[in-house]
Amino acid sequence: MLALACPAAAYAQTWSGFVEAKGFAYAERSLPREPWLVGWGTAQLTFEERLAPSLRLAASARAEGWSAGERDVFLDLADRDLRRAPFSLREAWLSWSVAPTVDVEAGRFQLGWGKTDGYSPADAFLPRDLTDPFADEKLPLWGLRARGQTGALRFDGVFVPLGTPWRVPVSSPRFAPVDATVAGLPVVLADGENDLPRAGWGALRLLATFGDWDVGAWGRTGIRPAPLLTVRPDEAYLDGDAVVLPADRRYAREEAGGVELSRVTGSWILRAEGAALFSTDAGLGDALIWTVGAERAFGDGTLLLTLAANARGTPVDPLLLFDRALLPAFVAVWQRTERWGSWRAVWTQGLRHGDGLAKVELSWSATDALALSLGVDVPYGSRYGPFGARPDLKRARAGVRWSF
Amino acid sequence: MSSRRIPLAVLPAVLVLLAAPARPARADEARDLLVQSEARHRTKSQEYEGDLVVTSKDGKERKKSWKSYRFGYAGDSKMLIRFTAPPEVKGVGYLSLPRAGKNPDQWLYLPSMKRERRIAAQDRSASFVGTDFNYEDLEELDHEKYDVKLLADETVAGQPCWVIEARPRSEAGKSLYEKKLLFLRKDLLFLVRMDLFLPGGREPGKRLLLEDVVLVDGHHVARRMTMKDLTKGSTTVIRLEKLAFDRLQPEGRHTLQNLVREGGD
Repeated sequence: MLALACPAAAYAQTWSGFVEAKGFAYAERSLPREPWLVGWGTAQLTFEERLAPSLRLAASARAEGWSAGERDVFLDLADRDLRRAPFSLREAWLSWSVAPTVDVEAGRFQLGWGKTDGYSPADAFLPRDLTDPFADEKLPLWGLRARGQTGALRFDGVFVPLGTPWRVPVSSPRFAPVDATVAGLPVVLADGENDLPRAGWGALRLLATFGDWDVGAWGRTGIRPAPLLTVRPDEAYLDGDAVVLPADRRYAREEAGGVELSRVTGSWILRAEGAALFSTDAGLGDALIWTVGAERAFGDGTLLLTLAANARGTPVDPLLLFDRALLPAFVAVWQRTERWGSWRAVWTQGLRHGDGLAKVELSWSATDALALSLGVDVPYGSRYGPFGARPDLKRARAGVRWSF
Repeated sequence: MSSRRIPLAVLPAVLVLLAAPARPARADEARDLLVQSEARHRTKSQEYEGDLVVTSKDGKERKKSWKSYRFGYAGDSKMLIRFTAPPEVKGVGYLSLPRAGKNPDQWLYLPSMKRERRIAAQDRSASFVGTDFNYEDLEELDHEKYDVKLLADETVAGQPCWVIEARPRSEAGKSLYEKKLLFLRKDLLFLVRMDLFLPGGREPGKRLLLEDVVLVDGHHVARRMTMKDLTKGSTTVIRLEKLAFDRLQPEGRHTLQNLVREGGD
């Protein structure tokens, strides 16, 4: 029916994608079973079509393989499995422009909310795939979305009927270390019960521009995508060279609201956000999160600075709350474009325990389609912080990516 | 990413800026030519598809493609640009909306982040997406910010040209260049070449050539622009296709909602 109604051949249809191979070399390991070298291959294909002037379709699928790590299912359409699947759907949405400045979208899509870089409370709750804890990879959502603009005011409403949970790091001293030993053996977490969310969440964001100022406000209600962990020490067991501690996952309800501000001041962009998060779950509690940020371009480089903190205490170690693990923190990013490619340095300093993460990435564009990359990730500092807790993730990486 | 600053659509505005019939006869005629050309060559809107090729000294090529939609003219224009290639920048969008007496509001949409970002006025010395153009080269030539004088006539590509020396005034902001030489085709009063002199340079550091001048919808426009960096030995060639002027623009095209609309304009 759709094909008959729309002269599809008259509109743009494109295929794009990339193939990437990358390798990691780790500097440390706590267990002999953890490899020094890990290889990772990815292929992603995206299809986009404008079915009619007001109707657009996009779908994107990814295939992956990696040399070390766990996997459960072959294809995970909802990304609700505990482990990353070799095949997954990254996007699959249909967007209908019901008016010149109003769109309704349905399907699988990714959100990007908030204004501050490095950490945004409007964005931080969205599900992440922490299979690689330092990659900050977001998971797409199945849902409905309505976006529009009238004059200077914009709105963005999202309804996710079934929540996609965070995919937490695999249980190992390298990715999810536990700061404890039993009889000299390291302790590792193991997957216990996983009470997957049976509901989702809804959110509304309003934005407006007044001269140099951009302002925004948002609210959401529903199931928080990040899990709460409950460990069961009474069921710990010995597995070769480590003591295994089962940890159950559950998902709490949370209501939240926030404001966003951004202002142009000469060559600088200043940004700030504040959010209040409420939960009656004793394992989660409330939060008051604020961030301030600044951005400025210097020639072909850009400097980004962000300070973020939670003004409320957490009932458990923030490390176990995932979206608040980083706080308080200072993030500085310097990125620069060169004729040969680009490079980027990111310094994230935790302000609670003094630990941090230094990252440097360099990308050399051999051609418009082929890029070679090199990078290092260096976590450092106290083992009680989110970065210092993972000394085994010190690593160098190299990759090659062909895009089409 | 380099493509976070993208006012490329202003380039054709540079091309049409300096075209007007005039009969220069005195020393201040240079100013008269510039004033007349600015008044005459206004267009209500402009659309085109652009391709650029950057060729380094050793022959290595980089390509980019984009679509541009401008509504209004000069300081009163709205502009939307969407990159279409290479794959790494496909879908990146830039929106500029005018504000009276101030720098325009500018936003960038990055598909990888799935959100728009307000951006500040750019450093004029920065390279434009890795090309031989600096951001200052993309600005419309506001002759009020220059001291200008008419020099001896020259010929460019077989066409007699007026030559105007333009030296940036200090109060107009720091410029990359000590002076610019503008070559205007006499028959059309159309800019066909610009030599750009770095401070202290006796020879031009860069040269912009505007070629393949055609009449589209009643307006002259150069479909090929070549910027040569005479110091580094690299060259950037921009070609404009599917040019159209004074067309009606769909409602909502120059809005933030359209900027964040993936798969749209």
